Amino acid sequence: MKKMAASSNSNIPVFEYKDINTKAFHVGSFRTAWLEKLKPDDYSYEDKDEETQDAEIANEIGVTRETLEELKSICSIDSLRCHSEDEPPDTKLVPPDATLQTLIQRKRKQEYKGTLRIDKISRIDHYQNELESLAIGKKPADPDDLVPEGELILSINILYPALFDSFKSVRPHMTLQMLGSHKLVDLRDAICCISDLQVFGEFSNTPDIAPDFISKDHFKSAFFYFEGVFYNDMRYPECRDLSETTVEWAKTRDFPQFQKAKMEDTYFYDLKVKVGYPYLFCHQGDCEHVVIITDIRLAHKDDCLDWKLYPLLTHKHRVLTRKCAVCHVYIGRWLTTNDPFAPVDPCLFCGRCFQMLHYDTNGNKLGQFLAYPYVDPGAFN
Amino acid sequence: MEYCKDHIKADCEQLLSRFQQMESVRFEMFLAIWKEMKFESIFFGKMESKLSRLFSREVLATAYAYLLPPYTFQIRVGAIYLLYGLYQCQLCTPREKIRVALKDWEVIMKFQQEAVNAHHFDVAYILRKLISQKAFYFTAMPTSLVFNVKRTNISRTLCEEFLERASRPQEVVSMDMLEELANIHQHYEQVKASSSESTSSQPDPSISLIHKDLVPRLHSTVLDFYKWQRNQGSGNQEEGQYEDGGEGTSNKHESSQRAKLLASIKSKSYAQVVEAPKARRHRQVERDESGPAQETSHHKRVKSLKQRTSHLTQDLVKEEATRMWCLSQLEAEDTTKEKKKQTFKW
Ligand SMILES: [Zn+2]
Ligand SMILES: [Zn+2]
Repeated sequence: MKKMAASSNSNIPVFEYKDINTKAFHVGSFRTAWLEKLKPDDYSYEDKDEETQDAEIANEIGVTRETLEELKSICSIDSLRCHSEDEPPDTKLVPPDATLQTLIQRKRKQEYKGTLRIDKISRIDHYQNELESLAIGKKPADPDDLVPEGELILSINILYPALFDSFKSVRPHMTLQMLGSHKLVDLRDAICCISDLQVFGEFSNTPDIAPDFISKDHFKSAFFYFEGVFYNDMRYPECRDLSETTVEWAKTRDFPQFQKAKMEDTYFYDLKVKVGYPYLFCHQGDCEHVVIITDIRLAHKDDCLDWKLYPLLTHKHRVLTRKCAVCHVYIGRWLTTNDPFAPVDPCLFCGRCFQMLHYDTNGNKLGQFLAYPYVDPGAFN
Repeated sequence: MEYCKDHIKADCEQLLSRFQQMESVRFEMFLAIWKEMKFESIFFGKMESKLSRLFSREVLATAYAYLLPPYTFQIRVGAIYLLYGLYQCQLCTPREKIRVALKDWEVIMKFQQEAVNAHHFDVAYILRKLISQKAFYFTAMPTSLVFNVKRTNISRTLCEEFLERASRPQEVVSMDMLEELANIHQHYEQVKASSSESTSSQPDPSISLIHKDLVPRLHSTVLDFYKWQRNQGSGNQEEGQYEDGGEGTSNKHESSQRAKLLASIKSKSYAQVVEAPKARRHRQVERDESGPAQETSHHKRVKSLKQRTSHLTQDLVKEEATRMWCLSQLEAEDTTKEKKKQTFKW
């Protein structure tokens, strides 16, 4: 018994560097450890009626029902109210006589902001709020789609490739919530990166067929790297083992042996990871994303409980979009060069303006120019 | 939320410090301070929903830290009350949860048991209430981690007055241990006397390697430490009241059982040891205050301490050697690993 406890101890996450990242632990064993420590009621989604709850608490702490009633009245939620019942406070206002330091600071901040006259919530903030709150507490229509009680939810940040200097300070990313019973391929398929949608080639003669040639369909290979293991996507015959080069290279250097595994065979429960530690996702040959598992916890009744809505996107960084040079309204979809119709070279056009300007009503190309399909980084906003 | 961290911490510590001065763990006492400080209003003032969620998260995480050792029982009680208050009064719907890490759960359950055993039912009730309300996220770590190295620069000092004071010396040098030591010492002196070829009643001074008054000396040293510690910590506290830490002064749930239990849980009270050796003084052999002996034993002790702690430093070295070549490196580590990096020929 004691031995068992000792061996499972290594799967109790502890800090490797305080407040930065944990030591590596096995995700499945971590879940088991929690479930062993808790009673099923503790993580159940069910709301018990007060009567039952009270009886259980009385039993747990070993007091009579009478004592419990007394405790209930002493510790009631109402007892925490700092105002009389008939004059509820305005929670939108920092009380004028506030003494808490947090409030004094908030007040000062709001007064300052007030002078700036930008009290409005920006569209971006608004959008992100919606994203997060959209799925909160969502129950599935079909009970079969319920996320099982005691399931793990992992929050994963996928950083965009550091293309620009400004990214270094902001670190734009998307956040996905995954379940422990997901496979790595589920995460891979949920990551949207513009390089997956990039179309290579010049299509000025056949603009209608261009969007069919997106990179995702062409270059299917990809891998995740976690704790010395490369997890390759080998679902399709044309998939290549992208990690091969690295593994071979490392063999000739002073590196420990790397392992290889298949993305499609690996559940999150199978992983050994450090929470908070940067790992890697690589696709399209050289498009690299830092991947950080920021949180792992048991599912809660207020979480999105519809299994079908996972992987769940909870955060998305908005990128500025480049607009069409003609209408300045729509996002650019075509990039042209050597274009006599264009004010600049190269130039961006939305689909409509591009068509109207460069082709006649029968779809015949007008004049000489080169046209490349363009996917704006902000296209996912 | 970085900007208000220090302010939240200051407010929480203000409340906990006042609760500590009450020298009671009753919820009513806590409520009085909570209300006087209008702590509920910490959530007031227009914040857009995302911000208000982040704020709740931050406040709960701040309060959570005081629920765990090394804080005293009293402070930990204050922390569970504070979490309860904050959880109920926050303005988000659904409420932000209190994140509890797996490594802390056992500690918290033990805390509940301590409270129950000591008949502090209000403490246990509030903890249980939070659990049945599903107020907790059962997590890997108390905050989510984004490899934000900069964060480490913020000083996370522990509030000195809230800390459970070190009690290892008192625990190690217990009554039993002193008795055992006295026996061994006596035996040792006898063996030494019998082996040193009889002529004089005094043993050969060259084998006088240890204080003859080792036991009383050890005892009085620990006693001094204990006294010093008390003076240190509770300048304005009245003697004798402080040692029970979690002990309340009040009312209906009071029982002698609680006092007994607290004494056993917290072997902080060194009183038992104070009494003990008196009874054993008769065992002590006559003193022999010889100078050289003193030095020898001193010297030895220092060395063995070093040996005993050497594994700690070894661990550090090991950790430092952990390779961080994969993707990134902690900024703080840069200097220590420069040498290693060079061998990789980036
Ligand atoms: Zn990419
Ligand atoms: Zn246009």
